[in-house]
Parts: sequence; C-alpha cells; structure tokens
Amino acid sequence: MNDLVLSAADQFAEEIENLIAQDSGAVPKGWQMSPQSVVKYLMGAELKNKFVVSPKYIGNQRLMEVAVATLTTDRALLLYGIPGTGKSWVSEHITAAITGSASLLVQGTAGTGEEAIRYGWNYAKLLAEGPTEGAIVETPIMRAMKTGKIARIEELTRISADVQDTLITVLSEKTMPIPELNMEIKAQRGFNVIATANNKDKGVNDLSSALKRRFNTVILPVPNTEAEEINIVKTRVESQMKALELPAEVPGLKDIQRIVQIFRELRNGQTEDGKTKLKSPSSTMSTAEAISVLNSGLSLAAHFGNGTLSAQDIGSGLVGAIVKDPVQDSIVWKEYLETVVKQREEWKDIYRACKEIS
Amino acid sequence: MAVHILGIRHHGVGSAKHVQARLAELQPDMIMVEGPVEIEEVFKHVGHQDLKPPVSIMVYDQAQPKSSIFYPFAAYSPEWVAIQYANKHSIPVRALDLPAAVSFQKQRLAQQLAEDEALEEVEESEESQDTSVFIPFTDPISMVAKANGFASGDQMWEYHFEHIEEEAEEHFEKVMHLMQSMREDGLESSLDEENVDREAYMRHLIRLAQNEMYTNIVIVCGAWHAPALLDLEGTAKSDTKLIKKLPKKKLPIASTWIPWTNGRLSMFSGYGAGITSPGWYEHLWNSQDDYEITWLTKVSTAFRKEGVDISTAHVIEAFRLSRSLAQLREKHSVQLLELNDAILSVMCMGDEVLLDLSNRHVVVGEALGEVPSEIPKMPLEADFEAALKKLRLKLSAAPKQHDLDLRKEIDLARSVFFHRLEILQIPWLNRTYSRNKGTFKESWMLKWSPEMMINFVDKAYLGNTVESAAQEVVLQKLKDTKEVNVVADLIQLSIPAELFDELDALLNRLNALSSVSTDVLDLIKTAPRLIEISRYGDVRKTDLAVLDVIIQQILVKINISLPNACYGLDDDNSMVMFGGISSLNQAIKIFSNDELEQEWFQTLERVMRKDGIHAIIRGCVSRLLLDANYLDEAEADRVFAYSLSVGNPPQEVAFWIEGFLKGSGMILIYDHRLWNLIYAWVDTLDAEVFIELLPMLRRSFSKFEFGERRLIGEKAVKGLVDPNATTISLTESDEFDEEEANKMIPVVLQFLKPV
Repeated sequence: MNDLVLSAADQFAEEIENLIAQDSGAVPKGWQMSPQSVVKYLMGAELKNKFVVSPKYIGNQRLMEVAVATLTTDRALLLYGIPGTGKSWVSEHITAAITGSASLLVQGTAGTGEEAIRYGWNYAKLLAEGPTEGAIVETPIMRAMKTGKIARIEELTRISADVQDTLITVLSEKTMPIPELNMEIKAQRGFNVIATANNKDKGVNDLSSALKRRFNTVILPVPNTEAEEINIVKTRVESQMKALELPAEVPGLKDIQRIVQIFRELRNGQTEDGKTKLKSPSSTMSTAEAISVLNSGLSLAAHFGNGTLSAQDIGSGLVGAIVKDPVQDSIVWKEYLETVVKQREEWKDIYRACKEIS
Repeated sequence: MAVHILGIRHHGVGSAKHVQARLAELQPDMIMVEGPVEIEEVFKHVGHQDLKPPVSIMVYDQAQPKSSIFYPFAAYSPEWVAIQYANKHSIPVRALDLPAAVSFQKQRLAQQLAEDEALEEVEESEESQDTSVFIPFTDPISMVAKANGFASGDQMWEYHFEHIEEEAEEHFEKVMHLMQSMREDGLESSLDEENVDREAYMRHLIRLAQNEMYTNIVIVCGAWHAPALLDLEGTAKSDTKLIKKLPKKKLPIASTWIPWTNGRLSMFSGYGAGITSPGWYEHLWNSQDDYEITWLTKVSTAFRKEGVDISTAHVIEAFRLSRSLAQLREKHSVQLLELNDAILSVMCMGDEVLLDLSNRHVVVGEALGEVPSEIPKMPLEADFEAALKKLRLKLSAAPKQHDLDLRKEIDLARSVFFHRLEILQIPWLNRTYSRNKGTFKESWMLKWSPEMMINFVDKAYLGNTVESAAQEVVLQKLKDTKEVNVVADLIQLSIPAELFDELDALLNRLNALSSVSTDVLDLIKTAPRLIEISRYGDVRKTDLAVLDVIIQQILVKINISLPNACYGLDDDNSMVMFGGISSLNQAIKIFSNDELEQEWFQTLERVMRKDGIHAIIRGCVSRLLLDANYLDEAEADRVFAYSLSVGNPPQEVAFWIEGFLKGSGMILIYDHRLWNLIYAWVDTLDAEVFIELLPMLRRSFSKFEFGERRLIGEKAVKGLVDPNATTISLTESDEFDEEEANKMIPVVLQFLKPV
C-alpha cells in the first residue's frame, strides 16, 4: 500500500476484528461493537483470547467512558481542548471503532459554508432537471444520517456562527429538511456527530447556547504527569516511524524524556523540581509538538545523519517548535537555555546544538 | 444468649438502612455501639428534638482539654440509627470500646517515648541510624479494593454492599464472611497493634453484658472488628491478661455534644469523618426511588442560584448520560461518580471549576448541626452562649457581615464582645474595615464552624467568662514580651475590648520598657499608635491621662536620640526611618501639644544639619520643616541651594529630591526658586548620569497627581522662571474681574480662621 498514513480503521483492523469477535456486551443499533469494547479499544486491554489491544489514548479512562457513553445517548459529542491534546486522534478512533470507518469528515474552516454541512446542488443537473433528488450533492453529514454512521466535524469553532447553527436541527430533530423538494432526510439509528474544537485559538466563533446544549463536552487535558507524556510520545513516534519507514533507530528513552521535560517545563512555567520560575513561550507546547520535534529529528538523522538520533537533529526541531514569535519567544528560549539547560551536566550536547542554531 | 454482630461501615447509608431493618427484626434487649465507654452517658440525648445531626460527641480530659477525640454522627450513621432506636424503645444502649482515658494515656506514653528517643539519639551522635521499621497507614479493606480494581475501599464497599436490595440478615452475613476471609488472609494494618487491645476490651464488655443476663444483644461495630467479636468464651482468659496490662490511672474524662457541619464530615478538612460526600449520603438516606433525578434537580437548583443557566433538558440529558455510563461501567446502579461525570459533561461544558461549585454546595453540603441548650457545657462556653443570646447574635456556617454603629448601645456591646473574642483568638470573626473610616463604625465578618468550640475547651483554663479569659491572655502576653511595640499592641487591643482592669499593668510595663528601650525605631513606630489611642480613646469613653504622660516621655526620648539613630544608615534602613519620621510627624500634629511640636522641629533641624545622614532623610525633614513654616525664607533658600548644588553626587541629590517631594509636587509649581534650583541641577547632569538617575526621579515624580505632573511638565517647557514672578495665573481668561474676586477673600479668611 502506498498511502502515506493508514486510516485508523485500516491500521488497527485486526484489533477491531478481534474486539468484535470477543465482544460479550450489548451492541447498540448501528454500532459494530459494544460501548465497553470501544473503551477497551481506546484504552488498550488484553482480550479473553490473549489478544492484546494497544492503547490509543493515554490518559484518564473516565474521559473516554464519558465520550463513548455520550454517543449512546442522542446528544452529540464535543471534544474540547488546546491544540495537540489528541482531540482529532480520539475522534477518529472512536468513530473507527464504532462504525468501522472514520471517513465522513467535515473540516471546519472560516470559509465552510452551509452547503458543506447540509447539502449542495449539482448545478448542471439543477439547470437541466430543476430541483430533484438526483441533483443534490450529499455532504458527509447527510450521508452519515442516511446510513446511520458517525460524522466528524473538525474545528467546529472555526466555522462561522450562522453556519454552525444549521447543525441544530440535525442534532435535535435528527432530520435534515430539504425545503426545495418539500421533503426531509431522517437520520437512521446509529447516527451521531463528534465535533472537535479548540479553545486557545484566535478568531474562533463561540458556539451559540442553543447549539451548545446539543453537545456533551469532554475537555481533553494536557498530560498530567511526565511519565504519561513520555508514554504518549514514545508510542506515537514508534508508530509513525513504522508508517514513514524511516531507516533510523528508535530513539532512546533518554532523548524522549529530555524533550518531554523541556516541553513540560516551558509549558508549566517552572522547572520540574519546582525551584526555578520560567517564562512560557507563546506557542502551545503541546504533546503533539513534542512528537513532531522527535519525528523531524528522526528524519534528519535518517537522511542526513548516521541513522541515530543526535542532539543536533533534535535541536533544530526544538528551536522551531518553541520560537514561534521571533522576538518574545527567542528571549524566553535563550533564558531557558542559559539558566536551565546549561546547568544540567548530561544536557551539554543539547545545549551546544541549540546554541549553534540560535 | 444470642449476640448479633452487625458489621458496618461508619457513616454508610446502606449499613444504616440494614441496621434499622435488622433491629426491627431482632427486637434486642441490649444494644452496644462502638465507641469509648465514657460517651455512654451522653447517648441519652439522642432522640431529643433539638439534637440535630450533624453533631459530634467530644470526649476530653478536663485536666488537659487539648487531649480530645471527636465522634461525629450524621443522620445516616448506623451508630446514630442504633442509639436512636434504643432510646425510642427504651432499650439499654452501651458504648463498646477502650475507655478514652486509656487511649489518652497510651498516646501520652507513646509521645513521651518518642521524645525520650529523640533525646537519646541526639546524645548517641549521628552514627546510629533509624532502625525502626515504618509501617505505613494502610487499611486492609482499601488494599483488597485496590487489588480488585476499585479506586478506594469505599467504592468497593458501595459496589458490593450499598446499593443492592437484599435482606438485612443476609447482608450482615456477607459482610462478616468477607471480613473474616480478609482477616484470615493475614492482611496487615498499622492499626493492628491498637486493635488487639480494643477488641479484647470489646469482648470483655460483651461478656459483662452477658453476665448481667441480657439475652439478645445487638452489637454495632466497624465491619473489620466484627469477626474478632465472635469467639467470646475462648478468649476470656487471654483478654483478662491484656486488660490488666492497660494503663489504669483515672482521668477526669468528660463528654458532651457539639454541633458539627457537613464540611467537617468530609475529607477536605481536619477532624473529618473521612467521607467525601456527606451531602450525597444524606440525599441517599432521605430519598427512596428516583434518587438520581432528585439529585440532579438539586444540583441544577444550586447552579441556577449561582447564575448558571441550566434547563430541564440539561437534567434529562445528564440523567441519560449517567445511566449510559453506569451501563458502560457495568455497575448495577448509578453512583455519584457517574452523576458527576454526566454533570461535568452536560451541564458544565467540561469545566471543572463549575463542578467544584456543585461539590461545595451539594455534594458536601452546608448543613450545621444543633445541640439542645440543656446539655452541660463548660463555663467558658456557657458564658459565650449567654453573651450570644444577650447580644442577639447567631452562629451560622454562612458568612455574615455585621456593621456596627458604636453610638448604639447594643452595637457597642457587640464590638466589645468581638474584640474580646479577637484577643482569645477565636477564628469566628474577621475584622473587615467598613468603607466609612469614621470612628463610629466597625465591620466584622462572622463565619462559624463547629470545631471552633474546641477553642473554648482549649482555653477553658484561662477563665470562666470570656472577659476574664481575655484578660488572662493579655496578662500572659504582657509577661512574655520585652518590646514596646507588643505592649502598644496589647493596649490597642484591650481598650476596645474594655478590659480596663489590667490597663494599669499594661501602662506600667509600657513605661518601664520604654524607659530602658534603646531601639529608637521601635519607639518611633510605637508613638504614632499610642497617640492615636490617646487622641481617639475618648470615643470609647476611656480616660487615658497616664498614657499621655508616657507618650510625652517617649517623644522626649525620641527627640534626644533621633539624630544619632539616623546616622550612617544604608539605603534600605533609611527608607524605613524616612517612613517612620513622616508618620510620627503626622501623629505629633494630631497630638497638638505646642511645646512638644517645637521640640520635635528642633530635633528635625538637627537631623537636617547633621553630616552623615542619608539624603532621603534630610530631604524629608527639610520638607517637613518647610511645611511647618519652621524655616524662614532665606534659610530655606540656603538649604535648598546647598542640597541641590552641583558639588553633591547626583545620586544623593536624587534621593534628597525623593525625600523632599514625598507626596506632593505642588511646591515645584508655586515655588519658583526651588524650581530654578532643580531645573538648573538637571541641566548640569550628563546624559549618562541622567539616564542613571531616571528610575529614581521617576519614583518620586510618578506618585504625583496627574494634574500636578501636567503642570510641572508645562512649566518645564518654559525653562527657568523669573523668581520674582510669584503669582501664577489660575485663569487663562482675560475677562478676569479682580473686583469680583476680591469679594471672596473675607469668606475664605473666615474659613481659615482657627476655631
């Protein structure tokens, strides 16, 4: 297969198959496995036949339980949080586990119009035949309603408020009226919507309270502990290396631990031992950024280095991820470099590498 | 000779319901409830209509009231239910545990031992390492719970025992069975050692009851102890041995009921009962079916009260989500955990802050228990309550603000009472200054919590009334201090508390201390406060002639030693001195004693002329003297010119300006000579030196009013000013009618005339 990245449903097809085979719980209509199994798929578990399901979300199981339980009610699910906390990742995997495919997706942008949410017209047909059912261009939402699947909306808050509100009928009445044809599409059982939204962005449109009421909200937090975060970074980097077929060695725990520590310290505004207060940069310093620093470091090592991740490979990515504002952030970064990184005996290589770049 | 052992979870709603059912079935002739034997005497009050839970039994040693234990009860505590049943049906009810006297003595012995060991260790030098093995506090039930995948022992208990419909008899058999198997597995607990004695004593008490020919005994005790109480005959001999070894000294132990709150029952606070959600338990105890929906409506009402919009649809959705969650988690019923998760997601938009609100108001709850007035109290507490009644004050858990008008008799009495309690350090009150700073007004914030009663027990030895106890506190503090400052504090506290009896003692001490004190700064800080007391003391109908004499003496002392005290101080200490001098100057003005004022100015002049005194202090005293018209014009000119002349290091001049300009810049606007001097001085500065001084100058100028700064700025544009142009035009208009304006002058003079 030549796909750059495999979809969740394809990548974990074996796990999903096994979960379905071993499922003993009650399966809601339109789902392919029971809610318990969905949570197992997300959090990882060992099945009765000793098959091991890998964890997709590393964090609080209660959050995943609330998310999955929400989808069994008729409220839609809103995953909320700062960028890089795994909202889209979770939404894709929940959908894949429940319906077997996560392809019904609307990417929200400032330019997303009503026709991307409800339906559009095939204008050639519209002119030739007038408004008929055949002239309608279906959106992922409409298709999900017709087939009883789960539709995903990414970055809901980037969509302008009036377009957002077209979702209200869909979510509360579970129908989509087509006034031009004097008919409506009724959602089949199993239909629901998972939306993601982020609360740190500029230029977002807050949800109207009418729409808010149609969603149950789950806030995905930044990882609680360093161990948790290291675990996330490690898992993701390893799986991406496989996907990208990078001819490099898997990075050592030490490198991952260092990068995670740098990110946590800058994010929390203090060193891990709590002794030094630090300034925080303007960038979000999310776990996803830490993962991409490692990934870019690995590809540097693979293509321009000797295949082993070195401090130089990490350094360039690190500076790029942290210094987003060339004036403010570079002060923050320099201070951190000089006061914290330089003092740490085993971090000399990173210090030198970063010093060279900036 | 049946003994029925009902193993319970303390404060477990399920246990309480089962105990209630089981008692009705068994109809016992004797009930024994876990708790030290001394609390037996207060059991009789349970069932009294004015004893409203949450309440707690307080057991304390009258000789050392600091040794005390609390046994909190809620309406749903199984023990409470059992005692209530016994009293209602006139069945004897007894307490079943080691006497508190024994526990206190054991505690003291252990403490003594620890102290001795600490001493020995110091003597034995560092080489001896701590060899004692530390057994962490573990409760075996939690250990089993963790092993079974529950977050806590409570959760496991809830899962297995709380919400299952079953017969009471079967329930207690199951509990006994589980506990027995756990004990047989040999799970260790840090409480084991203590439990050996306790359980031996419990068995001993049961045997006593059996000997009294009670034939149908019901025992209500913690589930963990239940299996240990089964074998009464086989253990009789070894128990007697154990009991003989216990400390035997008799202590004057007393127990009484005190009101408690839900907050105290929860784990968030000190003397908690270890239950996180008393409000939830209370709800479970009081409601039958539909407990989820009624709970959600409770929460949404609390949210609406706080201005969070919650619709009925929210309640419905939260209910459905909680049901789905319980299903997903394979639980047989919806628990608080599910409800909270649902509330967080549906009602709070995932925002934990909002959930905390529901936690505080509903999950924990704000109930405050009540205790009937006839229950015996300690004299101090009784006096406190009598005063409450007299002054029409109420104890409430919700904060309440009292604005007192001291001209009213009752408010004055309240104020005196509050001040006395403040001296006693009862944390009930918080002084919040009322916006109106007049001396007739006072504001206090009152927030009661039941453990404050402990304070009265703690302080019972000080005296039998609030007044005498407060007096004793003042006298003790007086004995311990050697600082003038502290004595002034005590005087300041005593006067509004109308503790006049020991005022003489305070003043004597003040006199004695101040005359030997060598710390001028201490005196400088104290004097303004004493002056304030003396000046405003009459508001409190106090005659303080003696105080005036002391103030005069202190001022004399200050006058003598101030110049030397200012000598050679560094920047920081000069700043402190600068502040002290300014506020003392203010106070002396209020004191209005001309003679003293003159002496004070003479002292200031000496300070001004002395070498080696920091520029900021010199600047400050120059200004004070100028404002007081103490310096004549020529002399003032000389001082300014001298201080601002180029020969001085720029740093020093900047400090001088800061000290001089403190507070107001008006002088720069109307005094042209001074203006010219400063202007010229600034002109002499190098760009580099100027930049260096800028922060300091900014510090002085930035505190001026906006208008002042603007005028100064406008003046600076014009540069040097002709020193003879002494008037500044207040009006820009040419139509200024001098004749009309002159008519105002007599009126203004009338205002300015001294009364």
